Amino acid sequence: MSATAILQALLNGLMTGTLLAVPAVGFTAIFAVLRFPNFAVAAYATIGAFAAWWVNTRFGLPIIPALAVAFLAAGLAGAVAEKLALDALRPAGALTVAIASIALNLVLENVVRFAFGNDLRGFDLPIVADLRFAGLRVGPQQIQSLVLALAIMAALFAFLRWTRFGRAMRAVADNADLARLKAIDPALVATVTIFLGAGLSGVGGVLIGLDTSIDPLTGYRVLLAVFASAVLGGLGSIPGAVAGALMLGISEELALLVFPATYRSAVGFAAILLMLTFRPRGLLGERAA
Amino acid sequence: MTASGERILHATGLVAGYGAAEEILKGVEIAVGAGEIVTVIGPNGAGKSTLLKVVAGLVPARKGTITLLGADVTRQGAIQRARSGIAFVPQEKNVFGTMTVAENLQISAFADPSGARQRAEALYERYPVLAARHGALARTLSGGQRQMLAMAMGLMGEPRLILLDEPTAGLSPKAADELFEAVVALNRSGLPVLMVEQHAVEALAVSHRGYVLVAGRNGVEGEGPKLASDMDVRRLFLGG
Repeated sequence: MSATAILQALLNGLMTGTLLAVPAVGFTAIFAVLRFPNFAVAAYATIGAFAAWWVNTRFGLPIIPALAVAFLAAGLAGAVAEKLALDALRPAGALTVAIASIALNLVLENVVRFAFGNDLRGFDLPIVADLRFAGLRVGPQQIQSLVLALAIMAALFAFLRWTRFGRAMRAVADNADLARLKAIDPALVATVTIFLGAGLSGVGGVLIGLDTSIDPLTGYRVLLAVFASAVLGGLGSIPGAVAGALMLGISEELALLVFPATYRSAVGFAAILLMLTFRPRGLLGERAA
Repeated sequence: MTASGERILHATGLVAGYGAAEEILKGVEIAVGAGEIVTVIGPNGAGKSTLLKVVAGLVPARKGTITLLGADVTRQGAIQRARSGIAFVPQEKNVFGTMTVAENLQISAFADPSGARQRAEALYERYPVLAARHGALARTLSGGQRQMLAMAMGLMGEPRLILLDEPTAGLSPKAADELFEAVVALNRSGLPVLMVEQHAVEALAVSHRGYVLVAGRNGVEGEGPKLASDMDVRRLFLGG
């Protein structure tokens, strides 16, 4: 195994991990505020990907405005689905809502299938040759996606740290009862968080789709990796989700140097298993997952 | 009856509890006048903390009425009562541990962010220990510092009344003394205080009036220092 192959795997892992971090942050943000794992983020990723693909191929919208459309479409789908399908189940506990979110995911995935069919769809992008340096290869589209993912996460961190509503989200995630005593409405914060988390999942779906193609299973295929990233980083920790996604992306790519590609998803399972066994609260989590 | 003229808080006939079953409060009456420190004492399970939670709106009153400055707030939830001017400092989990001291103060002005920076600066002057640790995560503070922060957070909303639930619980004697001094200083600035305390003698000594709750009902009540030296109260409730 050459040093170049290892470096290429690290580079690929960094790219994959950064893209994965966007939906993983959405997933963990929803968990932090609502305290349940919302597996419907897979469908929100797919909805976002299809919304962006539609405006890109039908109206010729460039990728950056198409990402905004994906964010809004997926965010809206998330907020509406939460109100219609999951909200009423919350008193029954986190496990019930988590299971319901799996069912919701299947329903939304099939709505997309009904509307767009099962075919693979590609974004309308200019064909550009890969860049090569020091024996390594990287696509310009990958670099653009990487920069966009980093910019989106930087904007999210700034929102959470420096805006009034961002701080309110962190306060509710920390202690909803105390937040109420400070005149913060946890129900409003939950709705905005769902919108934001689903929207980020939608953007993640686009970024992942830009690399290959999209179909109604686009989100489902990355669901395990998204969940594993959040668990690795510590469920509910946003910096943790980023760290977990990078760790998982790099681990998957390095594993491919040794194992056949069919074992790729096993890395996610192994990561969850190891983390829950030896450090249940994850890399940066505040409490046991 | 309050020591001074204006009545800030008046709760009558309060019945409340958790879940459908037991009633913890069984018809409690309590009043806090302008400029007063009022302390509620009583044995464990008497309903002291529940009383504060009912006044703060975290636990709904099944019966009875609560008025704040003459306005009926009984049907308001915790968010509205916070906006109406009731600040509640819980005994535990009273700061946002994952946020810095400065962020805890900022978020506590959520209802009225205008002038929050100036209010925070004034609180840093009043509690220099918070100024020294403004960038530290709240979960890294000592017990005494955390209580100071919790109280300062309550003040960020410029309340009309502050409720303190066992503010000296778990503190060293020195830190507890400092906290009582801080409560008295706070009250001297004009803020009425309703406090529940286990350190009953010390709390009553700095209070204008006191109530003894027994099994969810009003027991004895009177002036704080007199209540602290009342032999019956001491024997029955204070271990004296």
